[in-house]
Amino acid sequence: MQPRTTQFRQNSASALADERIQRNLAGLYSGFHSARIDASSATADWESLRARGHEIKSHVIENLDYYLNTLADSVERAGGHVFFAKDAEDASSYVVEVASKRGIDLVIKSKSMLSEEMGLNERLEAEGMEPVETDLGEYIIQLAGDTPFHIIAPAIHKSREEVSDLFTERLGAPRYEDIEDLTKEARRQLRQKFLAAGMGISGANFLVAETGTVALVTNEGNGRMVTSMPKVHIAIAGMEKVVPSIEDLAMFLRLLIRSATGQMLSSYVTAVTGPRLHDEEDGPEEFHLVIVDNGRSRILADEHLRESLLCLRCGACMNACPVYRKVGGHAYGWVYPGPIGAIVSPMLTGLSDGKDLPYASTLCGACKEACPVKIDMPRMLLYLRKELTQGDSYPEHRSADAAERLAVKGWRASASSDAAMRATNLAARLGQALLSRGGEISKMPGPLSGWTDHREFPRAQKPFRSRWPLGDDAARRPRDER
Amino acid sequence: MSQRDAFLSRISGALGRDRPPQLPPSAPPYSVGPPDEIAERAALVTDMMKRNADNLFATLAHVAESAGWNVARVPDPRAAGKRILEIAKDLEARLGVFSPHPIVRAALRADPFAGSGIELLPVALGLDESESPQRGRERLRAAMAVADLGITGVDYAIAETGTCVIIPKAGVSRLVSLLPPVHVALVERGQTLPSLDELFTLRRNDFMQGETRSYMNLITGPSRTADIEYTIVTGVHGPGEVHMILVG
Repeated sequence: MQPRTTQFRQNSASALADERIQRNLAGLYSGFHSARIDASSATADWESLRARGHEIKSHVIENLDYYLNTLADSVERAGGHVFFAKDAEDASSYVVEVASKRGIDLVIKSKSMLSEEMGLNERLEAEGMEPVETDLGEYIIQLAGDTPFHIIAPAIHKSREEVSDLFTERLGAPRYEDIEDLTKEARRQLRQKFLAAGMGISGANFLVAETGTVALVTNEGNGRMVTSMPKVHIAIAGMEKVVPSIEDLAMFLRLLIRSATGQMLSSYVTAVTGPRLHDEEDGPEEFHLVIVDNGRSRILADEHLRESLLCLRCGACMNACPVYRKVGGHAYGWVYPGPIGAIVSPMLTGLSDGKDLPYASTLCGACKEACPVKIDMPRMLLYLRKELTQGDSYPEHRSADAAERLAVKGWRASASSDAAMRATNLAARLGQALLSRGGEISKMPGPLSGWTDHREFPRAQKPFRSRWPLGDDAARRPRDER
Repeated sequence: MSQRDAFLSRISGALGRDRPPQLPPSAPPYSVGPPDEIAERAALVTDMMKRNADNLFATLAHVAESAGWNVARVPDPRAAGKRILEIAKDLEARLGVFSPHPIVRAALRADPFAGSGIELLPVALGLDESESPQRGRERLRAAMAVADLGITGVDYAIAETGTCVIIPKAGVSRLVSLLPPVHVALVERGQTLPSLDELFTLRRNDFMQGETRSYMNLITGPSRTADIEYTIVTGVHGPGEVHMILVG
């Protein structure tokens, strides 16, 4: 997916003006958000689970090299292949190579945000293959040539009428009014694809280092189809998805699912460990795990941002965020929206393009409170804001432009001595005399224009220094006592 | 340098070291317990499952209902067979497929479907020795794709969440509980675990004992989606109607 993180301001303005999007976003809050609160209150020791989840994921991230090494050994022991992909291009090429080797051209996919990140569908299409998204939301998005609006409910911005139009136009289906009929139509269409496809591509919610197991959380059953029907199954996963042991799954499934949809458990949880064994009835002959970096090691190397790799991708921070709930998922311009997206998207696609995203937060802390692994998102958003201004760790990403930097340097010089300060004040007094009309300044030049675009700037009167005579208490008293 | 080594050394570099540690990192915060006590913990779980079988069965019935299962409780396998026939008749089914779990075979032993006009097909390779596995898989898959219901046993059930756990193996297909529009699961007394924790303790113990399987499914209610306007619709790709029959 091509990042459009530069367009946050325009995108959010148009989302705010769109009544339909505003209506759908309200549903997100009353739906997922309240369901999460109900499910977490119904879970014994929810708060200690969160603390434990944070602890275990942090431990894995701090030892990620060890756990990835162990994971790869375990997958190979189970008869699977492991490919370590440096970036999206590497990962997509590997998928294409495996498909070409077996002469496969129909590929069925279950939902994977990483695949969106990689632009895998575009790549497969360019190679003459047919990738078919089978999660209902992703299927709608694919037919519409659109991008996901939410990581859990990708097509939640579309109304039933729009989906109906889309099915009629793209599939030649009759016009359905009813959501149930629309769903049945998708079932019919996709059933044929499941039976015919040569390759299934899934994401991964968790990778278990000890056993080499890929755990998938789904509700529709397409994840089971994708991992059972075709001859070849490829799971693609971000490198941060590891947990140490299969015993850790119990806790992480609770944390993820109850935070995502508010179900006590999703309809299906599927654990895949290698290809089918020789005495098993069915399942793929080949299993591949593609572990993808694609910028994540950059996040890992920054100890201020490393914590963002604990993310389980449940979407709870989005549903809780007062900004996401008004501007929606498309405004953020990339695969991962909301508070966590405002941290990882700029880091994965380029901080200077995504410079508005760390500001797309009120720092109210609702995201941190909702997060099942207690990620401190406000802290990282503040850190990114600081980086964008000062650029200590990422000078190349510094967003302050040359004029602003020059101005700050100039100010520093002007405040460095008493004489310099006096000279600057005098210059400013003379300068404002040139700009002001009738006691107000309505337009300032260059980088200062931001202060006068939407309001009048009052002309400064007597300088502060001359109003604060040493030894004169009058100026220090509150105005009304004077 | 291999592609794996190059990748891992980049990760080590980001963590401020040269290469991955060879030994397990110190004091891993195991969520349940350390691996060297796994056999003892698994034995405790198995014991508790037996001792609390009645309570767990009752809780399961209640929770499964709220998770979207149609729950029925029957005294013995024979009664389970009759219940399956009722379900099939309500569906006006013509073809049912089943995994020959022992409990399913026991339920069908008295041939409750005789004279019903409903065909029942076992999904297992090697029942006909003249058929190649390749051809057998194609034949069975074609049958499952048109079957009106699929009948299975389970390996475990989970009281906390109302879940059936199915671990595919010889005689247990991945697809009997997935392709037909209706799934009927038979759960035996003594198969119910209190929670997800105990399931994964047992699975870890199996792994440590070298008893590995390529797949495990946790099934909790019908296939469902809320992808259009948050409206819940069941039966998207998997079964839209699911029955849990508690036997014993």
